[in-house]
Amino acid sequence: MGKQDRSVRMSLQTLRTLEAFLENPTDELSGSDVQKRSGLASGTLYPILLRLESAGWFVSRWEAVDPASVGRPRRRLYRLTPSGLARASEVFASFGRGVLAT
Amino acid sequence: MLAERLEEEWLADFEERKSTLARLRFGVGCAWATRVIAHEYLEPKVAAASANGAAVATSNYRGPDYSFVSRRMVAVLGIIGLHALIIYGFATGLMHNVFVKIVAPIMVVPTTPRVIDRPPPLPTDPAMQRQIPLIDSDLPRFEVENDAAPQAVADVQPTLTQPVDPVVPPPPAVHRVGGGPGKGFPNSSDFYPPAEIRARVEGTTGVNVCTDEHGRLTAAPTIVKSSGSAGLDQGALRLAKAGSGRYRASLEDGRPVSSCYSFQVTFNLRD
Repeated sequence: MGKQDRSVRMSLQTLRTLEAFLENPTDELSGSDVQKRSGLASGTLYPILLRLESAGWFVSRWEAVDPASVGRPRRRLYRLTPSGLARASEVFASFGRGVLAT
Repeated sequence: MLAERLEEEWLADFEERKSTLARLRFGVGCAWATRVIAHEYLEPKVAAASANGAAVATSNYRGPDYSFVSRRMVAVLGIIGLHALIIYGFATGLMHNVFVKIVAPIMVVPTTPRVIDRPPPLPTDPAMQRQIPLIDSDLPRFEVENDAAPQAVADVQPTLTQPVDPVVPPPPAVHRVGGGPGKGFPNSSDFYPPAEIRARVEGTTGVNVCTDEHGRLTAAPTIVKSSGSAGLDQGALRLAKAGSGRYRASLEDGRPVSSCYSFQVTFNLRD
């Protein structure tokens, strides 16, 4: 985790994205769900999702549905990894101590 | 791979938005996200992270070239170069040379001098030139005697200067035509005093008037020859005043000039 975590820039938008997942860490959220919870614009949200996924905070998978049967494209579902959950918890805990973890 | 994934993912999220405005905002955001993701994933560190086992495969994605010499950088460098060229031109004087070549210099074309017709000089008549006689000086000589300190006294020879009258050419002969009552001049019967009409007084009054070149009075008319009746004289003066502007100006060589002249006003009773 250590080397990957250093590539994540902990901005306010990144914190809001993590906060959306921390409401229920076991949930799998699509980009649209995260946008509804965080209120971020799509141009801001998706690069953050990819950045956190590349750093190992998230894992993603395609929704297990048949697009032809449901009549829409498959959604990409994101979920916090255990290491991502621990790191996100540390980040928010450090906010309580007044120190921003980077 | 990444492009196909994002395309499908964004299409799915796009379908969840119902309003046109929300879809428009989502599309604009995705366009911006494309540029951001392309910029980040073409950096070496992200490529290294991908090779280290990250979930995203970026090897097949080839977006716009965001190398150092991007279009924005080219534009900025071009603007800087243009400014540098202009400053260099001003500093070395090249701009002046270019300006002179572009804009033709103002040519001053000499024109033929205007010939003014001047009247020939007046002939000098030798008879009109005065001979100034020499005057012998018979003035007494003054001698100053001073016993205390004899000094040489210079002889005082007063010189008399006589002003010379300038040669005045004789005035040329002018053909002059005297003025008088002109066209539209009032009728004397309109100024016949009623008292004199009732008294049946008749007479002729001589009036002198001064008019300008337009036939207007320049001074109050005066009586130069009385008719013997004060009433008729006053009537003649009123007639002369009323005729201002109706006088025929005197002519000198055909040109109207201001002048003074006399004329007679006759009051006759018509039986």
